[in-house]
Amino acid sequence: MTRPNETHRPSQAVAVDGWKVNSSLAMRRRLMDRLATVLSISATAVALIALGSILFTLIIRGAGGLSLITFTHSTASPGLNGGLANAIVGSLIQTAVSILIGAPIGMMCGIYLADYGRGWMASTTRFVSDMLLSAPSILIGLFIYELVVVPTGQFSGLAGSLALAILALPIVVRTTEDMLRLVPVSLREAGIGLGASKWRVILFICLRAARTGVLTGVLLAVARVAGETAPLLFTSLGNLDWSVSLTRPMASLPVTIYQYAGSAFDDWVQLAWTGALLVTVGVLIINILVRVGFGRKGA
Amino acid sequence: MTTQTDNGQAVTEKPAISVKSLDFYYGEHKALRNISMDFARRKVTGMIGPSGCGKSTLLRVLNRMYDLYPGQRATGEVVFDGRNIIGQGIDLNRLRARVGMVFQKPTPFPMSIYDNIAFGVKLHEKLSRSEMDGRVEDVLRRVALWAEVKDRLKASATALSGGQQQRLCIARTIATRPEVVLLDEPTSALDPVSTARIEELLDELKKEFTIAIVTHNMQQAARCADQVAFFYLGELVEMDSTDRMFTAPRETRTQDYITGRFG
Repeated sequence: MTRPNETHRPSQAVAVDGWKVNSSLAMRRRLMDRLATVLSISATAVALIALGSILFTLIIRGAGGLSLITFTHSTASPGLNGGLANAIVGSLIQTAVSILIGAPIGMMCGIYLADYGRGWMASTTRFVSDMLLSAPSILIGLFIYELVVVPTGQFSGLAGSLALAILALPIVVRTTEDMLRLVPVSLREAGIGLGASKWRVILFICLRAARTGVLTGVLLAVARVAGETAPLLFTSLGNLDWSVSLTRPMASLPVTIYQYAGSAFDDWVQLAWTGALLVTVGVLIINILVRVGFGRKGA
Repeated sequence: MTTQTDNGQAVTEKPAISVKSLDFYYGEHKALRNISMDFARRKVTGMIGPSGCGKSTLLRVLNRMYDLYPGQRATGEVVFDGRNIIGQGIDLNRLRARVGMVFQKPTPFPMSIYDNIAFGVKLHEKLSRSEMDGRVEDVLRRVALWAEVKDRLKASATALSGGQQQRLCIARTIATRPEVVLLDEPTSALDPVSTARIEELLDELKKEFTIAIVTHNMQQAARCADQVAFFYLGELVEMDSTDRMFTAPRETRTQDYITGRFG
């Protein structure tokens, strides 16, 4: 708002009396300051209200259906008082397997980018990884469908895990690289200076120094994949019965929510709400763990 | 190995490291020009000069630290134990165990005090548990840190004070039993008391190790070094015993720098 010639005014005023300031200018500044404060507070409020109402609705609608049966019984036909046990366990298994596959590969890739990668190979890898980070997740589901489901002729928990692993991969790559780059050069040189080989310095010194950050990345990846629906639709498909076999279709919370929420049966809709509450609380707990557990270095 | 004259100059003893016609390049930029100097065995060689004069660069040649960075290269000869260490076929890990380095900022590894020392030792020697315990205690005693940390060897090294961390780093370096210890402004990040303790330590260490120390602190060079080399714009201007350098330097540039007229 200030025009160049106005910027000199306060100093003129100051020249008259050290405490007196050009009052109209001061007034306008105070107003602008108020306005900016009000705007940012209301923006925050809008975001918080949206989040709060989602959580509130989830708890009100979801908690009602929460009972022991939710955890002990698998999904069942309408009216048969089913639970979500198969979906909960399916989600846990697929998330765990996807992280077991995605995290080590992502960490190794991050190490490569931070410490070994040079030239076009590294910049291409980084570019592709970043693209993957924002790729529509349904596309990744289709990719695995073509790559695994079609050749094997079978929807399976493994296919679902692979799709989730691809989603987890770029998150781990990016955080690992970023965190390793934060390790001071002097620490690497100190390790090298003792006569340690490069891989030993990376593994035992740099990765250790960056461990909270790297672990944060892995947990954020867990939180991300645990709530994904789209990549599972054509890969693990979902399963109405109890199944823990990775070679057969597998249920998961997000897919069950997707299938049940739009159904005509009240008890299925109720289960969808309860499932949504469980996923949200699970992801919330992971996020809180990241922030509280790793304090300052949290994402 | 052999005798010395009473004025402190090593006459007959072979130098620990002998640099001959060394040039060093950061890419196209020539950072060191035709350096030739000897690092006397079991003496402290101080290296002084204004920032960017090449003294730290020279230090990083002596353990081939520059090898980490593509585009940095050295030509000439640096003879250590009969071999040109900037030539081909040098086992760099072995070289760095024999020519240890302590950095400007203390660099404790993110592990326990004990493991900080054991890390380097394990790279080069297979010791039993009790031998390792003995080695850790020995080096911690020699850097006068034992009394302060003996009850918390398993505690994280990063919780130590800056001065303690730097003494730990020195302990870690001498634990691999090097012949030469390079110190790159080891006290510039420390308070005066910690600095004094490190300087006292140097007097002890030079009984066993050849020491090369880069410093910006003239008093430190005068107090600690047996011989001093003055660098300016990538050249070795002059090198002599500490007494002569600080009382009767031959070059006016040395005189000007030492008296604080530039730098």
